[in-house]
Amino acid sequence: MNMTASANDAPLMQIRNLDKSFGGVKAVDDVSMDLRAGIVTTLVGPNGAGKTTFFNLITGNLTRDGGQVTWLGRDTAGMKPYRIARAGVGRTYQDLRLFDGMTVWENVLNATEHGAFPVPISRAHRIARRERIERVLERTCLADKRNTRAIDLAYAERKFLSMARIMATEAKLWLLDEPASGLDPNSYERFLAILREDVAEGVTVCIIEHNLDIVIGISDRIAFLDRGRLLADGDPHTVMNDPELAKIYFGDRE
Amino acid sequence: MEAYIFNLVNLIAIYAILAVTLNFIMGYAGIYSLAHAVFFGLGAYTSAWVAQNVHPSILLTIPAAMMAAAALSLLLALPALRVRGEYFVAASLGLQVLAVTIFSEWKSFTGGIGGVLAIPPANVFGIEVFKPAHFAILSVVALVIVMALINALVHSSFGRNLRAIHDSESAAASFGKNVPMIKTISVVISAALAAVAGALYASYLSFINVESFTLDASVLVMAMVIIGGTGTVAGPIVGAALLMLLPSLISWFDFLPQTEIGALQQIIYGLGMTLLMIFRPGGIVGRRAKA
Repeated sequence: MNMTASANDAPLMQIRNLDKSFGGVKAVDDVSMDLRAGIVTTLVGPNGAGKTTFFNLITGNLTRDGGQVTWLGRDTAGMKPYRIARAGVGRTYQDLRLFDGMTVWENVLNATEHGAFPVPISRAHRIARRERIERVLERTCLADKRNTRAIDLAYAERKFLSMARIMATEAKLWLLDEPASGLDPNSYERFLAILREDVAEGVTVCIIEHNLDIVIGISDRIAFLDRGRLLADGDPHTVMNDPELAKIYFGDRE
Repeated sequence: MEAYIFNLVNLIAIYAILAVTLNFIMGYAGIYSLAHAVFFGLGAYTSAWVAQNVHPSILLTIPAAMMAAAALSLLLALPALRVRGEYFVAASLGLQVLAVTIFSEWKSFTGGIGGVLAIPPANVFGIEVFKPAHFAILSVVALVIVMALINALVHSSFGRNLRAIHDSESAAASFGKNVPMIKTISVVISAALAAVAGALYASYLSFINVESFTLDASVLVMAMVIIGGTGTVAGPIVGAALLMLLPSLISWFDFLPQTEIGALQQIIYGLGMTLLMIFRPGGIVGRRAKA
């Protein structure tokens, strides 16, 4: 939405010729892409197109076979996932991976706690952190559930807790893996509102999504993956109106 | 009779320290160790050596025992925690088997099979503690301190990180947590505090040998944790008390065949554990299984 404002900046993340195979099958095949500040990029494509693998490669959860990923100008080769996360790349998982035994509050609080040792923090910092978490819980409508364990939450609440965790961090780039799948219309509107607010505040988002309303409604740009290859990368209408891509997407492949 | 009761109090407190420290890694980090008796034993031998060769003050014996166990646990944790959880169980089992051999053979340090005799009583600020009733104060205070320390850790960011790792290692890493480092630190803390139990054990009994530090002892401590309630505060204490009282209970019921106490005990352990896991998998103190 503010593409013109940011178009001249260097990309936050630069991905060049990314490759990954699993036992001879190319899951990600020579993908290059720039993720620029403030731009919402949506990854679309049929199941098995390599979208989640793409996320796993740029977060360091999987090691790449070839290609280069730079984050804020720095090559991320060999960086452990926790280092990439600390550098400002946040992600959610399709299967959520909440901290099930912990309460909503602890889940969100712990998302902000990096250090291996408990270090004393100042009162001012503690208060600021508490306010930040309160605000996140209000926006995700989880404030009343703060003492509920994650495992006892309803489906939509679990999806929002997954969002709340990443919202509480200071990640500059959010990689969201199907964050809105299965949400009812109300929850879905709330999810879009949250995303718009955070994007307006400067968060850069890359999102895997099957819901075409989201794809059209919030994306600045669509990247279309199929069988590991990036088939198209451009503005939503052009990509979604391409009859060849529509065929692949809706399973009408010859 | 009084000495008998205080003897039980001491043994329960010492085994409760072992159970509480094992529960710290089992219940919160999901790390299952079959080598807890190794750190118990190393703590006991180190403390005995220091008491005989340097000075029996607990200000020396306990820290020395803790440092030795911490160093050994680091050797186990550093390679074993970089791989998946199941491998740690296997690696710890390997360490346990290896340690029993070393405990039996390293005569200058452990006295071999015969063990270490005439260990001086604990010296607390110049006072020698050898009566069971007096030692009970020492062992219970030690248990309370260990519990307080672990409780503080569990409720800190460190404890939350452990529980987060337990629930999802990949998600924890995605929130910036150095998972192998945090797990390693938890194992080192657990081993060092288990060595406190070893130091107390050595100075309380004044005689130790490898019999107390075998795989059976590691399994016994794990049984205490599971029966009492993994991941609970009171569970390990309840488990330790129950399993330490069992032999006395059996001998109290004189209609039971007293010559077969050992076998009877094993049957009760096994049966109790099986029934518990079927009807109350969270342990005696643990929450009931979810419907």
